[in-house]
Parts: sequence; C-alpha cells; structure tokens
Amino acid sequence: MIPKIQIKKLSKSYNGLKVLDGIDLDVKPEEKVCVVGPSGSGKSTLLRCINGLEKTYTGEILINNCVSQKNKDKRIGMIFQHYNLFSNLNVMENITLAPICSKLISKKDAESYALKFLAKVGLEDKLYSYPSQLSGGQAQRVAIARSLANKPEVLLFDEPTSALDPERKDEILEIINNLSDTGMTMVIVTHEMEFVKNIADKVVFMDNARIIEENSPDKFFTRPETKRAQMFVKISNLQQSI
Amino acid sequence: MWLTNQLKMFKDVFADLFPSLIEGLTVTLQVTVISVFGVTLLGVIFCAMKLSGVRLVRAAANIYVYCIRGTPFIVQLFLVFFGLPQLIQMSGGDFRINSFWASVVTCSINGGAYITDIFRTSIISVDKGQKEAAFSLEISKFNTYRKIIIPQALRLSISAIGNQIIITFKDTSICSIIALGDIVYKGKLYIGRTMQPFVTYMVIGVFYIIIISILSVAVHCVERGLNNDTENTDKKAKQKL
Repeated sequence: MIPKIQIKKLSKSYNGLKVLDGIDLDVKPEEKVCVVGPSGSGKSTLLRCINGLEKTYTGEILINNCVSQKNKDKRIGMIFQHYNLFSNLNVMENITLAPICSKLISKKDAESYALKFLAKVGLEDKLYSYPSQLSGGQAQRVAIARSLANKPEVLLFDEPTSALDPERKDEILEIINNLSDTGMTMVIVTHEMEFVKNIADKVVFMDNARIIEENSPDKFFTRPETKRAQMFVKISNLQQSI
Repeated sequence: MWLTNQLKMFKDVFADLFPSLIEGLTVTLQVTVISVFGVTLLGVIFCAMKLSGVRLVRAAANIYVYCIRGTPFIVQLFLVFFGLPQLIQMSGGDFRINSFWASVVTCSINGGAYITDIFRTSIISVDKGQKEAAFSLEISKFNTYRKIIIPQALRLSISAIGNQIIITFKDTSICSIIALGDIVYKGKLYIGRTMQPFVTYMVIGVFYIIIISILSVAVHCVERGLNNDTENTDKKAKQKL
C-alpha cells in the first residue's frame, strides 16, 4: 500500500538553528498519527512543511507519491491553534469561499454543502454570524467545517484545543473523534494525552527537532522504549493523576 | 470696542468674499477629487510594487517614495509646472501644462507616495494566519488578496486614508502660487483690491476649518459604517431568517 504521506530525511533550520533534523515518517491512508512532545520540538513546523506553508527545507515530502509542492491538487486541510477564520466574512462565507473560488461548484451547491458540514459540527444557527461573535470553541468548529467543505484527503491539526477551556476542548475532541470514524487520514499535534490514547493508530514522540520514538499508543503509554519518552510519559501521567 | 470692530469687519469681509470663496472652493474640490483618483491609482501600483518579490521592482517603488518624501511640495509643483515643459521643449517637443492640471499631477504624485506607505503597512498588518488559512484552503493568491487581505487592510487604514485626503485638500492651497484659481487665490485677489490681509486670511482660515470639519465627519461616518458592517449585516440576516 502506498503511504498517503511519505517524509524522507526532512531537515529545516532557521538562522542556523535546527528545527527539524532528519525526519522520516510514513502516514498510511486512513491512519491517525498523533505527534506529541515538548514545546519547541518542531511538531508544528513538521505540519507546516507537510502543508507547504514552509517552503525551504531539505529532504522530500511525498503526498500520494507526488512531490507535494508540484502537486497542485494536494487536498490537505489544516486546523490551526488560533482558528484563523476570515474575520471579514461570516460563517457561511468562510466555509463557501474556497469551494466557490475553485469554481468546481456553484454558489448554491456550495451553500447547501456548507449547511451540511455546519450541521455536522452543530452550528446551523450561526450561519450569518461573524468570527468576532463566536466563542473559541464555536470558531474552531467552524474552522473544521471550513476545512471539510474543501474535501480534503488529509487533515492536519496544529494543537486544535490549546486555546480552549476544558469543556470546549472536549467538544472539539469529540468532533475530531467522529471525523476519525469516517476514515479521514489525520496528523494531530496535541498535548491531550487521554485523547491520544483513544484516537491514535500511531504515536510519534518528538524532542529537539528529531523523532525520538514511533510506537503504538498502547506501548508508548505503558512501555516506552526510549529513556526520553519514559520521562515524558511519566510526567504526563503524574499530571493526569493530579 | 476694538474687538467688536474687528468682528464687524470679519463679518463684512466674509459676506463680501463669500461668492468668490465658493468659486474657489469648486476649483479646490475639483483638483482634490481628481487627485484622489490619481493618488489611489499610484498608491495601488506602487504598493503592489513594494510587496513584489522582484528586488528591482521593489527598489523602483522605494526610490519614488524616498524622493517625494524628501522634497517639499512646492519644489515638486514648480518642477511639474515650469520644469517639465522646459525639459520637453529642450528635447524638441511642444508641451504646455496649465495650472489646473499641473496642480492635479503634483497633488497625485505627492499624495501617492504617502498613500503607498499607508496601503503597504495596512496590508502587512493583517494577521498572518489569514493568509496561511487561505493557502491551506488552496485559495489563489489573487482571490486571497481580493476577498480577505484587502478588505481587512482597508478597514485598518480608513482613518489614515481620510487623513491623507484632507492633507491633499489643504495642499491644493499651495497651488495658488501658480495661479490656480482656488480659495487662497481668490483671497489674494481680494486683498489686492481692499488691502485687508489680516481679516481676509482669517476668513479663509475659518472657511477651511468649516470644510475640513465636514470632511472629517464624512470620514468618520465611513469608518463607523465599515466597522458596524459586520454587526448590521448579521442583524439583517437574522431578520431574514
């Protein structure tokens, strides 16, 4: 089976500071990969490279076996920590803008489509609200609907719940959970360990710009192989018990 | 006693001068309005150049802004009105420019440099995340600017733009020196007849304050309209539902 995403020897540095150092990673179709690790270990940068937001790096990223930057129709959606909804457009326009701009679909179809996705995230009543009128949780749900409306094959989540309070967090995590049941390929950067245990097919632990350990969630949270991962799991378990 | 005398004189001059002030105002407004179009056009062009990825194009825009900001308005005006025709005549062509169009050209070139920087700073101060979100949704660069970046930038810069329009409106008064028949020019003619510079220029000053107050209110209304835009449309949409 061809992996959906194939990363080979990916390295990147900012002004001499290595932020990614020889990353190798495969993501299979429909696989849910969770990337965990301390802040500043390069998790977000890895996602941004996959998405093409970072353009200068060495190594190779293949999406569906094609070099990602040359593949125009790359079909990768991204959910940001700070939602990044278009602040001058209302919820409906936020969701329909990309489909309408791509000219693959009429405005009417795009709108009925948007309604469907808004229903999926439980926000049909916010159709004509502006981003400034939404709570953080609602904004993130709209952002998810917006990504879905573009029919992605892969969804990247960059700490989707880090800016939210515990209750809103669960809302979003549940939506992501439901999405994972539809067979979407996902790469999730998160600090929510309970969530990782539930959803992940594979856990990738990063520290200091490298992948330290790649393991199944079961093994990672009970018997991590590397010392560094053992420490990380121990501390996150401690925090959980508090 | 002295004060009431002055006030009475002020009133008389105002009444006497009013018709020609209005005449001058139409000329001033004409120059301003046409210049605002020129300013916007130049601003858009040079702003796009400044944001371009090609270093040479960026440099050209920078030189334009640098030169205009570095020279006084009156020097630019004289270069356009006296210098340009001479330059063209020297090279064998025949070119004359009247004071009206010289004023329009100078105001446009001058305001264009300042508005270029206003446009540029407002575009780069739109949150980076907006561009990144558009990129991940595969919205083309053109549509990203048209639908997202520029509307947001306009909202950020509307008061600065209004300010620049008011500055252009006031700058046209300098053009009275090349006999543009504007408000100040009409005043000068009046002084020539009556030898009353103090009261006349006071009248002109007050006249300017009145017009600029009206302009300021208009700018303020546009600003409020843009900011309330989101809420109003939301209310309308709710009524529709």
